[in-house]
Amino acid sequence: MRILLTGLNHKTAPVELRERLAIAPESLARETQALLGHPRVHEAVIFSTCNRVELLIVHEGDDPQLPAYLNQRFSIDAQTLHSHLYEYRDSDAVRHLFRVASSLDSMVVGEPQILGQVKESYAAARTVGAVGPELERLLQCAFAAAKKVRTETQIGASSVSIASVAVDLARKIFGSLEGKRVLLVGAGKMSELAARHLMRQGAGSLLIANRTQERAVRLAQAFNGHVIRFDDLHARADEADILITSTGSPEFLFRTPHAQQFLHRRRNRPMFFIDIAVPRDVDPEINRLDGIFLYDIDDLQSVAASNLADRSLEARRAESVLDQEIERFRQRSDALDVVPALVDLQAAAEEMRQAELLRNHAHLRLLTPQQREVIESITRGLMNKFLHQPLLALKAAAREGDAATIEAIRTAFQRAENKEDSAEEMRTRTEAMPESKSGEAVRLISKR
Amino acid sequence: MFLLWLRVAVVLYGVASVSALVAVFGHRARWQRACLGSAILAWFFHVVSATEMLALDHRWIPTGMHEVQSILALLISTVFLLIAWRYRTLSFGIFGLPLAFLLAVVPSLGLDKYTFGSPLIRSEWLFVHITALLAAYAALLFSLAASLLYLIQERRLKSKRSPGFLDWLPPLATMNQIAHTTLVLGFCCMTLGLFAGSLIAQERYGSAYFADPKIWLSFLMWGLYVIMLFVHRSKGLRGLRAVYLSSLVFLAMLTVWAANVFSSVHRFGAP
Repeated sequence: MRILLTGLNHKTAPVELRERLAIAPESLARETQALLGHPRVHEAVIFSTCNRVELLIVHEGDDPQLPAYLNQRFSIDAQTLHSHLYEYRDSDAVRHLFRVASSLDSMVVGEPQILGQVKESYAAARTVGAVGPELERLLQCAFAAAKKVRTETQIGASSVSIASVAVDLARKIFGSLEGKRVLLVGAGKMSELAARHLMRQGAGSLLIANRTQERAVRLAQAFNGHVIRFDDLHARADEADILITSTGSPEFLFRTPHAQQFLHRRRNRPMFFIDIAVPRDVDPEINRLDGIFLYDIDDLQSVAASNLADRSLEARRAESVLDQEIERFRQRSDALDVVPALVDLQAAAEEMRQAELLRNHAHLRLLTPQQREVIESITRGLMNKFLHQPLLALKAAAREGDAATIEAIRTAFQRAENKEDSAEEMRTRTEAMPESKSGEAVRLISKR
Repeated sequence: MFLLWLRVAVVLYGVASVSALVAVFGHRARWQRACLGSAILAWFFHVVSATEMLALDHRWIPTGMHEVQSILALLISTVFLLIAWRYRTLSFGIFGLPLAFLLAVVPSLGLDKYTFGSPLIRSEWLFVHITALLAAYAALLFSLAASLLYLIQERRLKSKRSPGFLDWLPPLATMNQIAHTTLVLGFCCMTLGLFAGSLIAQERYGSAYFADPKIWLSFLMWGLYVIMLFVHRSKGLRGLRAVYLSSLVFLAMLTVWAANVFSSVHRFGAP
């Protein structure tokens, strides 16, 4: 079984191409099932986000030609698609998947959504039975690695978008945003986005003041907020804990005397001004007052940029955490690969033992039950002792990824496939085993 | 035996102090659990030690400086654990736990060479008096620390720089709440302690006891405390002014503590 990952992302393909391949969450299960029907594909998962579309499959034998599948399924010219696609196989595919789940391959490194999206893809694939033991193990390890990266590094600790920086700052001032009132002065796109973010994080209610009343009413309906008249702005601004302003006013709307009045009416409870207007709506001097916190668009951008730089440093630490997790996954996979060989080895030895007992059945019949029990016990003890070293060698070979040793031991103790094979036939076959193969196994074992 | 438990508690306070530094500055979840776990264990062994220590002589109050220090350390760690439980922050562990460690380390080295000789120490009212005042000191210490951290966080937010090293500071609202709650708690404890002390003094020594300088200073401190609470509540003081007020009361508290040296009555016959 081999692992193959094919796809494109924001680094390799423009948005025009990505959107043609994008799969809606509700269609993910259906598309995964279609992929599973492709020749030689045994297990499959599709990751589809705004920044990537990737097919992860477990296949047997020859390459299942996934580009051709994409080509046919999405009716995209093969030549166009080919130059944007990447392919990772086996260990490279594992590394890529771990990096994607840990958000190291994201456009904004450390963003938290990607892990949820990968999990959604996994859930969709499970519903159509496209996740078998190989992908199950791989994806569970990827989730565990992503979690470890989150807990052991600070990769997602700081915000890197203007809106989330504003939310973080509000949290640093007010703790929880529960019950906090937001006042939107001016109804621009940016301020609307920041307000939406704050409301989503639990802010209690929204007040809107805009020169054009209709736009304010429309926004108030969208956010379930309340409109205040623009003329009442200074009389009612102190009702808000967070004030987001983005008007086109050529002069400051809020100056130090206004802020002093607000603080007096609020009995010094803090106020957070977010000024995203250009030219600015709030006099920067008010930041000098105790209890007033003012951030303009440049301040927010500089915090975001600084946080982004911190994330790049953390990403290096995250890569080393991933290295360890990938190595752990490899060892686990190798150890699991050897389990059938271990079972085969024990079964072959047991069959040989039974064959010998059967061959001497006539003599054994003359013995008392107690004597037969002793013989049984001696033969089983001998068998276990003979097997001890080969089993240890197999386990060690699995740990070290020594495929040649595993294969040699497996061949040396090969078991009959057909269950109807008689014990005698088995014995004869074992005796007839080529000298060279047995010798090779013994040599490899004794080397250890 | 109580010395052994106290030594175990001191070692655990040490572990908790180091873990608190790593947990708070390094944001390491594993260290946060280690810090909280070792602090709870340290508190438990400290309680066992204090109970044994006090039960040993069938008495209820500390009879020497070592024992007073140990009880104060226990109260500080109790306030820290209450804050950690209520406000989900270990930030106060970076000074509360080392302080508890330093206060408990000397008493854990051996027995007190001298003890207070006064028969009064067997009075249960005196137990209330001393414990309540020690608890007030511990609470006020945390209130001052919270006000200071508030100030640092406020300055950091106003400077508009990336949090960097100061990212561990709790939100302003949390620190304001901690400062206020511990202030009120300290006030309740101090009122109770002074009330119990006055009752004992009135009963045993009559009005002569009130010539003691420490008594005067204690009431002065209580008065300051009342004023500070009133101002804090009515004006909603935060930031620098809150730090000034907390520092003033804390200074008065230290003066009252130091006044013990000049008061022959309050030394309970210690050399």
